Amino acid sequence: MTEPRQAQGAALTEAQAIERAKQGDGEAFEFLYNLHKRRVYSLCLRMTANTAEAEDLTQEAFLQLFRKIGTFRGESAFSTWLHRMAVNVVLMHLRKKGLPVVSLEEATEGDEDTPKKDFGADDPVLSGSVDRLRLQNAVEQLPPGYRSIFVLHDVEGYEHNEIAKMVGCSIGNSKSQLHKARMKLREFLKTSRAEKAG
Amino acid sequence: MTCLEFQRELPEYMEEGGGVELQAHLRTCTACSGLVRSLESIVQEARTLQASEEPSPRVWNSIEIVLRQEKLIREPQREGRHSIIPSLRQRWGIAGWLVPAAAALLVGTGMLLYQQRPAAHRLAGASTPAAPIAAVAAGDVSDQQLLQEVSARAPMMRAAYESNLRDVNDYIRDAQDSVNANPNDEEAQQALMDAYGQKSMIYEMALDRSLP
Repeated sequence: MTEPRQAQGAALTEAQAIERAKQGDGEAFEFLYNLHKRRVYSLCLRMTANTAEAEDLTQEAFLQLFRKIGTFRGESAFSTWLHRMAVNVVLMHLRKKGLPVVSLEEATEGDEDTPKKDFGADDPVLSGSVDRLRLQNAVEQLPPGYRSIFVLHDVEGYEHNEIAKMVGCSIGNSKSQLHKARMKLREFLKTSRAEKAG
Repeated sequence: MTCLEFQRELPEYMEEGGGVELQAHLRTCTACSGLVRSLESIVQEARTLQASEEPSPRVWNSIEIVLRQEKLIREPQREGRHSIIPSLRQRWGIAGWLVPAAAALLVGTGMLLYQQRPAAHRLAGASTPAAPIAAVAAGDVSDQQLLQEVSARAPMMRAAYESNLRDVNDYIRDAQDSVNANPNDEEAQQALMDAYGQKSMIYEMALDRSLP
């Protein structure tokens, strides 16, 4: 077989890379890694808020995927498969660390997140002032449970029924936690804007 | 509808939109409409956090090492790949010959040192500290040469290679200790061979593929 090697990254498609990786082609593995590394690493970083842990988890997610790549038959998108695997790796890590993947505040919180009359008062609208960096910092401040749901839904685009299965909670719980996460983010963003102004 | 009532409905509103009553309240209440716009801007900006960060080169480096250790990456038997010398000549100049030669010498020396030890010596379990020390000392020199070249070619990769070399040198020492303690232990012998193989692999990766 004297098939000419295509320029990596330029002509190689994901499907071709998958087939070559199944044959043990190192450059194909690297191509697949480069194609998806940012998405996987960003997910790990948002969920853990720790760069060292995020790198270790990224490595683990890709290794798990590459070890099973021989079984990939293309019924689902490769990226869907990879991202679901990455989410599972991170959730497993959080559980091992004893961190809640769903916020424990749900059962115990009292007045903190219940409706307040002045919830919307003096809200000169954050729109326009929510930039990526500030939001990123605010997400890092979220409790791990809220952070997981927010990242999975609003950043990664999973539906509540998918999140409920992944983290092991009810759909209603997922919706409720997401709303509370957004409300907390709004508080953090308002505080950070006030500090910046002051 | 009051603001309090609106807020109770807010999670559903954000998910599915609201009915006539909610819409009517939003049109007349600046506080609630401000809140909704704030949340919507958070949701909108959240998507920009997807795929926004780049992992360090260390991550791929570590993945590649494991893939090679587990033989998931197999060396292709294709023309031009049987020797790394031509590409080395272009990319490394004279050092391209010296460093892999030193690495090969190191790996070969490690294996020969073990294999050539007298059988009685092995059976008696007597340790020969000079052997591993010599090998590691030779390795230190080669490692420094390799790291110097890595620094010159790709400074960002130096830390990763330094860490990998440190790990594999520890592995060689541990494996050598195991062999010294149990000269007939085939697993220990295999571990020592694997350790030298891994070191050779790191050299090859640094020289042949992983650097620009």
